[in-house]
Amino acid sequence: MIPPSWLHLAEPAIKRVGLTCLHVRIQQLVLRTFIDVVQLINFGFAFHLFKENVGGLCFMAGPSMLPTLDNSGELVLESILPHRLFPNHLGRGELITLTSPVDPSRIICKRVIGLPGDIVCVDPTGLKAHSTEHVVIPKGHIWIAGDNAAWSKDSRDYGPVSMALVRGRIAARIYPFNRFTVFSKNATHIEH
Amino acid sequence: MAWALISRPLRWIYWLPLGLGFTQYFYTLKTIRGRSMQPTLNPDTSSWDDIVVFDRYSMNSGEPIRKGDIVALRDPLDSRKMIVKRIVAVAGDAVKTLPPYPDAEVFVPEGHVWVEGDEPFRTLDSNKFGPVPLALLDSKLMYIVWPLDRIGPLRPPISPVSKRGASRDFRWYSDMAAFEREQRRQSRVTTRSTTTSHS
Repeated sequence: MIPPSWLHLAEPAIKRVGLTCLHVRIQQLVLRTFIDVVQLINFGFAFHLFKENVGGLCFMAGPSMLPTLDNSGELVLESILPHRLFPNHLGRGELITLTSPVDPSRIICKRVIGLPGDIVCVDPTGLKAHSTEHVVIPKGHIWIAGDNAAWSKDSRDYGPVSMALVRGRIAARIYPFNRFTVFSKNATHIEH
Repeated sequence: MAWALISRPLRWIYWLPLGLGFTQYFYTLKTIRGRSMQPTLNPDTSSWDDIVVFDRYSMNSGEPIRKGDIVALRDPLDSRKMIVKRIVAVAGDAVKTLPPYPDAEVFVPEGHVWVEGDEPFRTLDSNKFGPVPLALLDSKLMYIVWPLDRIGPLRPPISPVSKRGASRDFRWYSDMAAFEREQRRQSRVTTRSTTTSHS
């Protein structure tokens, strides 16, 4: 047995051991926080890469695609991977998302009207160009238009757009569950 | 046993997004192919293709694009290809075009840039496909890492100082030629604004 009066002799040693323990604890904590942060960044990148290269859900807003897509509050499924794998499989009549050729920070949704080599009437309604004006779509470009011709900024304003701007397709409408739709190629061909 | 075999590749896959994200949104190494940027890149005197660092971060973070920058962009005529060109004019400028383009002078619209290769005879650039939307720009050339004799950041062409008595070596002539090319490019552009923002 150690007499209690001797304890004060051991005090500095006990303090030192306690401090070392604290240092180790802090080091562990810092290391663990660092790993957590790196993991969080990793997950963030994974999520973003998935959304940019495979597909995901996104909200749509704007009047240009009425009546196919509503002005606001609709959740759609964007599919990107198929377009990444087969960029030349675009079809007339498909709904696509693309980066705006005028403002790179905006992603817009339009319908494909013409493919490379097609001859397209610039504006059949005669609003933005004379209705007899036609253009040949150059190589690697497409002609896009919104469904709401009266309120849409599209190829009628900025001409054919490069296929490299296309992100992906609108595969389905998810959110108003009662209006769930799968969008497919629905261009009608007129047989000669 | 089986777990030990697959756990190592699994750990690699687990951390893959970090690496991919870094190359996708920050910096990436690329090899330059083709002769359209001669003699700035892939000059005839070099027997290797240049390897360069491209900066995607400054492009994504909305830093203004300056005239004279060398950028990588998606080819507007072939969405699978990436091309490397120099920015000659930005939105708001008027450019005197070179032969394949139908009009003698063109106005670069909002959200577009005019890109050209340094070697006017072997390049497919804005003189063929017109102004390019900013959304097609991918990254900015920052640094040459290979071959070693041209390693270093890309310098803007400046008039070489000629010291009296100093001999004019190969480097002086190539600097002078780069400076004259830059002046010729600038003389074709009527500036209305100096920068444009890519965000």
